Amino acid sequence: MRFLAIAVAAAVLIALPLVTTGYVVYLANLLLTFTVLCLGMHIVIGETGQFSLAHAAFYGIGIYAAGIAGTTFGTPFPVSILIGGLAASAIGFVIGMVALRMRDIYLALATFAFGEAMQWVFLNWNAVTGGPNGLRIAPARLFGLELVTDKDAYPFVVATAIAMLVLTVIVARARLGRSFRAVRESEIAAQAMGVPVRRTKVVAFGISAFFAGIAGGMFTLFSTYIHPDSLGFQTTILVLTMVVVGGLGSIGGAVGGAIAFGLISELLRQAPSFQEIAYGAILIVFMMYAPKGLFAFLADRFRGARHA
Amino acid sequence: MADLLEIRGISASYGRIQAIAGVTLSVPDGAVVALLGANGAGKTTTLNTISRLVPVTAGSILFEGRPIERASSHAVVRAGISQVPEGREVFRDMSVRENLEMGAYGRSDRAGIRQDIDRAFDYFPILKERLQQKAGTLSGGEQQMLVIARALMARPRLLLLDEPSLGLSPVLVEKIFAIIRRLNADGLGILLVEQNASVALGASSYAYILENGEVAVEGRSADLRHDDSVRRTYIG
Repeated sequence: MRFLAIAVAAAVLIALPLVTTGYVVYLANLLLTFTVLCLGMHIVIGETGQFSLAHAAFYGIGIYAAGIAGTTFGTPFPVSILIGGLAASAIGFVIGMVALRMRDIYLALATFAFGEAMQWVFLNWNAVTGGPNGLRIAPARLFGLELVTDKDAYPFVVATAIAMLVLTVIVARARLGRSFRAVRESEIAAQAMGVPVRRTKVVAFGISAFFAGIAGGMFTLFSTYIHPDSLGFQTTILVLTMVVVGGLGSIGGAVGGAIAFGLISELLRQAPSFQEIAYGAILIVFMMYAPKGLFAFLADRFRGARHA
Repeated sequence: MADLLEIRGISASYGRIQAIAGVTLSVPDGAVVALLGANGAGKTTTLNTISRLVPVTAGSILFEGRPIERASSHAVVRAGISQVPEGREVFRDMSVRENLEMGAYGRSDRAGIRQDIDRAFDYFPILKERLQQKAGTLSGGEQQMLVIARALMARPRLLLLDEPSLGLSPVLVEKIFAIIRRLNADGLGILLVEQNASVALGASSYAYILENGEVAVEGRSADLRHDDSVRRTYIG
C-alpha cells in the first residue's frame, strides 16, 4: 500500500512536466513549496503540540534572505536556499526561547504578534525588502545553469521537497522525535523521564522555522517577485488549515493536506470573494466530522465499507 | 547504613506562598520511607524539589553524598532518581512499548533497554499482554503499573512514588504495594508519598508526617501505626 503510493507519486512527479503546460508546473512548484511549509507546521503543532502562528513570517524571512543572497550577491541557488533556511531558523530559535515561556492561547498570540510584526518589517524596511514595491528576484543560478521557467525550476523544487520529507521522517524516528511526542502527550511525564521540556519545544520551533525558510528558498527558484501582502496571517492560516485537513500529527496527512487543500484553494481563486468563506467552511466541517483529517476519515470509511 | 538521599532544611515556594519550610528527612540505602500528610501539606512539593521540578529556596539535597539541589531535572534522572508523578501521567497516544522506551530516554544501550523491558514484564506481567495497545486504553490500575514500570526503565537507585494508590480499588492497591515491596527487596530505595496512611505505614520502615509544610511527626512506621494520636488524625 505504502509502496504503491510512493510509486504513483513518483510517476506523477516525473510525468507532470512532460505532459502539461507551464501553468500546471507552476502550480506543482507552489504546492511542493507549501508541502514543505506544512511539514514544518507538522513538526511544531502535530508532533510537539505547540502553537505557532508565525509560519508566514519565517517563510518570508526565507524568501527575502534567499532572494537577496541570489540576486544581490549572486550565490548559487543551493547556497541561497540554505541561507534562507538558516536565517529563518536563527530567528526562530530566538523567538522560540521567548515565546515558549508561554503556553496554549498565550503562545498562539505571541507567535501571531511576531508574525504581524514581521509583515510590518517586510513592508517598511525599504532598503532591504523593497518595502511596498516588493522585491524582484533574479533567476536562480548554479555554475552556468540559469533557471528561467517553471519547468527549469521544477526538478530542483521536487528534489528539495523530497529532501525535506526525508528529513522529517528522520527527525520523527530519532530520539528527538520521540521527545517531541512525549512533550505533546504529557509535559509532566516527559520531564519525569528526563526530557528537557523547554529546550525540546525551542528545538521543535527552530526546526519548524528552518523548514519554512527552506520553503521560502524554494519559492525563489520559480518566482521573480515577492510582495509582503502574500506573507500575512492568511498564509499562516492556509498552512494550518492544510495540516488540519490532512490530519494533525501524521506526515502523510501534512503532505496530502498540502496537495489536496492547495488544489481546492487554487480552484477557488476563480471566485475570490468566496475563498475565505470556503476556507472557513471547510475547516469547520473537518473539525466536526473528520477531526483526524481527510485521510484518516477516508481510511475509516474504506475499512468500514469492506467489513460491511 | 549510608543514606541514599539526605535532605537538610529545604524550603520551596510558589510565588509568595511558601509550600514547604525547613523539611529535613533521609532515605537510607535500600529502604522504603513514607511521606504522609493531608492535602496541601507539601508532600508533592517535597518530591518535586528532589526531582528538581520546583526550585529550592533554602537548604540542601544530597543524593549518594553529592549535592543535587542546583542540578537540572534531566541531570537528576541521569544521576539515578526516577519520579512517578501523581495522577498516572501515561503518554496516552503511545503504545505500552513506546511508553517503556520513553522511560529509557536518557540511555542508549539498546541491549540493556531490551533486557529491562523483559524485567518490567517480570514485575508487571499484564503489560506484556498490552504491549502494542495505546496506553490511553489501559485501565487505571494498568496505567499505574505502566508509569511505575516506565520509571524503572531509567535504572534508578531511588524511586519517588507520588500517590500510587490514588483512585484504585483496595484489591489493586494491595497488588501495587506487593510490587513496591518486591522492588524494595530487590534493592531499590523508595520515597513514598501517600494519603492512604495505613497502607503506606505497612509498606515502609520509617515515616514522616508533614503539616503545613513542616515535618510534624517522624518515627519508625511500626511505632506510628500504633501511636494513638497519629491513628486518630491520619488513619481514623
